[in-house]
Amino acid sequence: MPKRLLVAAVAALLAVTGCGASDEPSDNTFTLWHFEGPDSAMGVAWAEAIKQFEASHPGVKVVFEEKGFEQTQKTGALVLNSKDAPDLMEYPKGNATAGLLSKQGLLTDLSDEVAERGWDKKLGPGIDTTARYDERGVMGSGKWFGIPNYAEYITVYYNKDMFDRQGLALPTTLDELTAAMDRFVAAGITPLATAGQEYPAQQVLYQLALTKADRGWVDRFQRYTGQVDFHDAAWTYGATTFAEWVRKGYVSKDSAGLKAEDMGLAFMQGKHPIMVSGTWWYGRVRAQVKDFAWVSARWPGMTAGSSGNMWVVPKGAKNKQFAYDFIDITLSPAVQDKLRDAGGVAVAPGAAPAADPATRQLNDDYQALRDGDRLAFYPDWPVPGYYDVQVSAVQKLITGDADPKQVLDELAGPYREHVASLGG
Amino acid sequence: MRRHAVLWSMVVLAVAMVTPFVIVALNAVKTPEEYSSGGPLRLPEGVSLDGIIAFWDRVDYGEKLLNSAVISGSVAVLAVVVSVFNAYALGIGRVRGRLWVLVVFLTANTLPQEALVYPLYYIANEVGLYDTKLSVIIVFTAIQSAFGTYLLTSTLSGFPRELLDAARIDGATKWQALVRVVVPISRPTLGVLFVFFFIWTWNEFFLPLVLLISNENQTVPVALGVLQGQRLMDATMTSASALLGVVPAIAFFLIFQRALTRGITVGAVK
Repeated sequence: MPKRLLVAAVAALLAVTGCGASDEPSDNTFTLWHFEGPDSAMGVAWAEAIKQFEASHPGVKVVFEEKGFEQTQKTGALVLNSKDAPDLMEYPKGNATAGLLSKQGLLTDLSDEVAERGWDKKLGPGIDTTARYDERGVMGSGKWFGIPNYAEYITVYYNKDMFDRQGLALPTTLDELTAAMDRFVAAGITPLATAGQEYPAQQVLYQLALTKADRGWVDRFQRYTGQVDFHDAAWTYGATTFAEWVRKGYVSKDSAGLKAEDMGLAFMQGKHPIMVSGTWWYGRVRAQVKDFAWVSARWPGMTAGSSGNMWVVPKGAKNKQFAYDFIDITLSPAVQDKLRDAGGVAVAPGAAPAADPATRQLNDDYQALRDGDRLAFYPDWPVPGYYDVQVSAVQKLITGDADPKQVLDELAGPYREHVASLGG
Repeated sequence: MRRHAVLWSMVVLAVAMVTPFVIVALNAVKTPEEYSSGGPLRLPEGVSLDGIIAFWDRVDYGEKLLNSAVISGSVAVLAVVVSVFNAYALGIGRVRGRLWVLVVFLTANTLPQEALVYPLYYIANEVGLYDTKLSVIIVFTAIQSAFGTYLLTSTLSGFPRELLDAARIDGATKWQALVRVVVPISRPTLGVLFVFFFIWTWNEFFLPLVLLISNENQTVPVALGVLQGQRLMDATMTSASALLGVVPAIAFFLIFQRALTRGITVGAVK
């Protein structure tokens, strides 16, 4: 028996080493990795882009591999440092991700291609913040290291049927929103779906702070362009208003322990009439809500949001020319319109508006945010590991274990440390 | 009365163990719409295999199964072989300082994989084994046989000396004593090790995630990770994939279950 096993083992090993050595990439292969599901707006649009690429590059073999987000996030730097790097990959934007890679010299500087092919003009101003990184790996200025293909922002989802039943019009200002939530509470309905254990609750707090903020405030906080005071009018308003919302019953105390998925499900099951969260929910809500009418509406004031994840070209990519050509195709009106019609937010759509009025609304809201320079990124971006700090601080606000001032102190500590470590 | 108490606590325990699997199975056969409107606990209205089929196609699951089987099988065999050699030297051969060798093996076992990952990546990259199944096989053979050596050594140090003496008198060399006497008698224990190594390696996620980059080399648990989006999850498809992911390990366990029970009762031999 052991002898037979040994033979089997040797055979297995030979088989493994045999098939391991056979796939040397040739000059006519274009390797592409991304982590969007095949049914998502990006997945649909990029499948179309691959088709167009194959048509315009006869003889070139496209090797596409779908990756997991976690895999990309955890192993990105390792892959880019090896000879197995793809020619083009989707990578998360931000200082802690793409910024870090650019600082380590693992990404190709795309500035020349951007200028030559006019990508900056296609994308328009404002959206490039997450695409450019300086020598410290801080976003907002310096060379181009990534090209975004879609955008995302926080929007308000309303269950229209529930509003109709209360005889309420859809709110357009924060005061109207508050009044509507009062009515729901009086009717015994918790109005706002949220989740304290993941990103939703902290984004609501940030949204509230943003109603009293301007571009300078956001830049100071996100790009370290000046002193940040966590007890200024905006932060104080955000935290105290959030605490008030909890006290008045707009937000359930139980939501402290919920995850984003729970929030989405609760909204889609019609348990709460309002959800304040990202456009990444849009496609799923559209596909899966059949029982009630719903709309998405812009948040009044500055809004958390940014470009989506980006194309990056690894330093060691073998066929960079193909990568540039492919990026160009994904920014073409045909592919961008496809992305938009599949429920995504296009960054460079064609001239004709979307046929579906809801998708049109979603994309028009984005254009308005971009043109008004109102995209404010996300609250956990400025500091590595800030996400968990935010989660725990905002959870305490929901459960009532800390008052707004203590919560803001909790947010201020790690921020100050990080900024000090950057050396100005 | 006491017997009933034991019985009932076993029933409760069994239900507690099985419930998560039942929930996973329930959601695996729901449509996404059903899941969104009814939540995870409601019974499905019908059996929809779309999630399972879509997942199978999306990640080319057959290929992943083969990869996992090749890797886990090779590791299980090689790690048992290496463990036997080590344990023969340490448990029966009485190598000097064997206690310290064992302590080192045991300490190595407690190291978190996160601490190993960068050095392993670096070495694999330098010798050109990065993104090959062979690299994972070598790494896990070493990891599993560290534990195997520790366990087998303690078993073999209680090995009946009379049998070895008899073999020596009959003119057996050390090699023959190992192959003809020690291995056949410890076969049940080796079987248990084999099964454990196989299942442990099958379920490994982190190191294969880091070392096996291209999709054609990926193992089953890594393929399951593809479904985890940045902010969204597809609950029905994730359930389907989880179901597909555990089935092979359970099947393997059932097939080799007899070897396991034999291995556990073997200590009772007089």
